[in-house]
Amino acid sequence: MRGWYGSRTLASVLLCRQPPPSGAGAAAAAAHRRSPGAAARRHASDRQTGQGQPQAFDPALLELLVCPLSKKPLRYEASTNELINKELGIAYPVIDGIPNMIPQAARMIDRKAQDEEPKQT
Amino acid sequence: MAASIGAVVCRALHSRRHGKFLSIGRGLFSGARCLVAEGETHFGFQTVSETEKGEKVYHVFESVAKKYDIMNDSMSLGIHRLWKDILLHQMNPYPGTQLLDVAGGTGDIAFRFINYVRSQWEHQIRQKLKSHQNLSWQEISKSYQEEELKLPGGSQVVVCDINKEMLKVGKQKAQHLGYSEGLSWVVGNAEELPFNDSKFDVYTIAFGIRNVTHIDQALQEAYRVLKPGGRFLCLEFSQVNNPLFSRLYDLYSFQVIPVLGEIIAGDWKSYQYLVESIRHFPAQEEFKAMIEDAGFLKVEYRNLTSGIVAIHSGFKL
Repeated sequence: MRGWYGSRTLASVLLCRQPPPSGAGAAAAAAHRRSPGAAARRHASDRQTGQGQPQAFDPALLELLVCPLSKKPLRYEASTNELINKELGIAYPVIDGIPNMIPQAARMIDRKAQDEEPKQT
Repeated sequence: MAASIGAVVCRALHSRRHGKFLSIGRGLFSGARCLVAEGETHFGFQTVSETEKGEKVYHVFESVAKKYDIMNDSMSLGIHRLWKDILLHQMNPYPGTQLLDVAGGTGDIAFRFINYVRSQWEHQIRQKLKSHQNLSWQEISKSYQEEELKLPGGSQVVVCDINKEMLKVGKQKAQHLGYSEGLSWVVGNAEELPFNDSKFDVYTIAFGIRNVTHIDQALQEAYRVLKPGGRFLCLEFSQVNNPLFSRLYDLYSFQVIPVLGEIIAGDWKSYQYLVESIRHFPAQEEFKAMIEDAGFLKVEYRNLTSGIVAIHSGFKL
């Protein structure tokens, strides 16, 4: 009888259904060890399915990116989703959250738009 | 065999011309970027102007982007995975490394980097656990949770590629596999990187540098964006050293690969370009000299699979 109870405890620990109430440094440890893993897995699936803004530009990139031509820092313009180099008057588009830093893809900002910019800054 | 002799002759001709036009082109480029000196270069076995090469290469990768990974597996019989794993082992990044993966397209190197850094971190945690047996379970589970929120140690990888189709495929792959933290995607030209000086610990370019029109400019940009002490790593097809194996390799390259390209990706020409561009890329020693010219020190290379690919490594010191 006792032997049967003992193996049942072991089985529940292994299957991690319910940590048995008695004795169990090992069992509680096993249960606890499972939960961070489960939390991590849930976290990963959350990231996969419920990604808040997959198309948005990651502002952390702003610290790294510079204009490939002048090597000067850029400003992110959220309304047009572009990275702007005011000095040279060009704007690099951000498509699907990926900035396109090829000079040929950049757009020239005309004078009129440049006059409007001081309002936003 | 005729093809390989042709390749040797072609290479001899082109390398001389290439050198002359490169020096003229570079002088003009430093002045006005809009004016293009019509220097000539090679696109596979064709001679094309330098601007044309850029466009042609772009179209090649635009058309193969979706089938790129499948083609890599079938052409190299899956061996390209081993090559990339060996590259990561040679890099041996510790948590906290900032990596720039140029021509990284579909993200193979970037994902391997993330896995490597994570497993290094887990290893470190396990070592700590061995010596600190009295840590409470709450503390340990907390450290597991922190690990998932961002890459251990603040590691970061930026994948830069000139072709946005390849990056799109890469980004989709990342979402599918669950990589999101510490990973950024940028469309950029290896010859004109949109990054400031001394930003990265490691610069890698895997199977990309032979497609760059001005290799020396790409190398100079690599030198610029690396921090002092930073490492340059290049995984690229190279010259096979064994003559018999070289014949078999030529046969396989010119007879089998374009056919596979047609069957799997529906694109004979792109894969014809691929095998021709491999023949035109400088050999190990010559490429080593080019890397040294850019300012890197302690430049060495190691051949993999008898020289089919080589990993060149240099340091900015």
